[in-house]
Amino acid sequence: MKKLTLIIIYTIFWRNFLKIIIGLKYYNQQVLRKKKQFILIANHNSHMDTMAIMSSMPSRYIHRIHPVAAEDFFGGSRFKKILMRYMVNATLIPRKRANSDEDIDPIEVMSNLLKKGRSIIIYPEGSRGVPGVMTDFKKGIGYLIKQNPTVDVIPVYLDGLHKTLPKGKNLILPYNCRIIFGNVINFDSFDLKDIINTAEKAIHKIKSLVE
Amino acid sequence: MEKIISSIDLNSQIQWVIAIILSILVIATTTFWIWNKLKPSQLVDEMTLRTKSWWGMCFIFLFASTVNPIITYIGLAFLSFFTLREVYTLLKLRDSDRSTLLICYLSIPIQYYFAYQGWYTMFLIFIPVFMFVIIPFLLVLSGDTKDIIRSMCILPTSLMLGVFGISHLALLISFPEMNEGNISGKALLLFLIFITEANDIMQFVFGKIFGRHKILPKVSPNKTWEGFIGGVISTTIIGYFMGFLTPLNSWQLILISLCIAVLGFMGDAIISAVKRDFGVKDMGDSIPGHGGFLDRIDSLSTTSSPFFHLIYFMVIV
Repeated sequence: MKKLTLIIIYTIFWRNFLKIIIGLKYYNQQVLRKKKQFILIANHNSHMDTMAIMSSMPSRYIHRIHPVAAEDFFGGSRFKKILMRYMVNATLIPRKRANSDEDIDPIEVMSNLLKKGRSIIIYPEGSRGVPGVMTDFKKGIGYLIKQNPTVDVIPVYLDGLHKTLPKGKNLILPYNCRIIFGNVINFDSFDLKDIINTAEKAIHKIKSLVE
Repeated sequence: MEKIISSIDLNSQIQWVIAIILSILVIATTTFWIWNKLKPSQLVDEMTLRTKSWWGMCFIFLFASTVNPIITYIGLAFLSFFTLREVYTLLKLRDSDRSTLLICYLSIPIQYYFAYQGWYTMFLIFIPVFMFVIIPFLLVLSGDTKDIIRSMCILPTSLMLGVFGISHLALLISFPEMNEGNISGKALLLFLIFITEANDIMQFVFGKIFGRHKILPKVSPNKTWEGFIGGVISTTIIGYFMGFLTPLNSWQLILISLCIAVLGFMGDAIISAVKRDFGVKDMGDSIPGHGGFLDRIDSLSTTSSPFFHLIYFMVIV
């Protein structure tokens, strides 16, 4: 049931809407083919990012792919929580660990998902930031990959999506934009700094290729 | 009875054009294939890619223009929409222009609705008169006056280029007087697009073969006097022989083809200059080998409205 809802929302509605009305183009999407589990890392500038990525997921596994969202932003009300869970298939994680009374480790939440064979979409920058500008990656992605070294990490570069729905606006407008999938990242060492560096470089490499 | 005969007659004319278009495509494809086998080069590769795209464009266009008029309107409206989207992607507009942009996009269905209904006056004044006032006022309402004059000028111009010009193609098939007796709007539409695109190709071919003296050295190095003159002459000849689609007599045909050729060149040059200003080679990458939508229909956006009014003066008035 959840799979069907997700397929209707993303594979049918969002994919066509984004392609025809917004003008989104998908590149190198075949990387995802035949992959059952992966960690997708992407740059983040707009709420449309998640829609774009989810719409490009293979419909066979779409119910097993969870975008990771910050609980303090998206889990504000019960309604929002249900919406995020069933419409976006998102997993909410607490962003500020110091604030929460319960001792939930966000890395552990994601790790558990991966151990169950699920895939996750994560924005290592942490927040949407300044439009069109990439900021440094947070450390979370490093811990996550360090704990799950066997899972494939796929970098994604989203180009121009911040123009269709900038931060702080709520009008979606058509702009030609692109979503480009990179190849699976090979990590030479699983040192925390190296992981973050390699991941960052992978996205910057796609960025430099398309510009 | 007479009506039935005339409609069959018209259909056979359109069938002729379709046959001509397909045979040109087949000849071009085989020529480039053989050329590529004999002497491969970058130019041939580009030509092969362009021909491939021509196949796609011709099929979509012939499907949209012959099957059902409703599909023609929707297809043309989408063409306008894609063109506008392409321009707005390249333009660095201010964040406060966003709500006005929505109105610009919404003017497309309205304009095509007027075309569909054949409301001639509304159709003519909607963009140049109404939108010309509404857009600047909406920009003023957004309250951001920094660089407002740029947006005030760009947005109505983009509508004139992308929507007003192209929508005349739709008006051709809905305008009542254009679909009476021995005149068929569909045939006129085919004639206009065939001549405009033939002009593009002929100017390109003559420029590539004989091009020496640059006509606009600072704007577009590919445009030469030889290409322009060769293109105009050959387009006029082609237009003369394609005249069976129109109710015009020979001197009218020559005049109208000449106008299309010159106006097509102007449209091409205008968009070239715009691209220069943007600092891009093509407006997009939607049509492989050609660039964006506006790269292909740049000449159509300037030829269609004069063509409509020339036909109007020559035939109807």
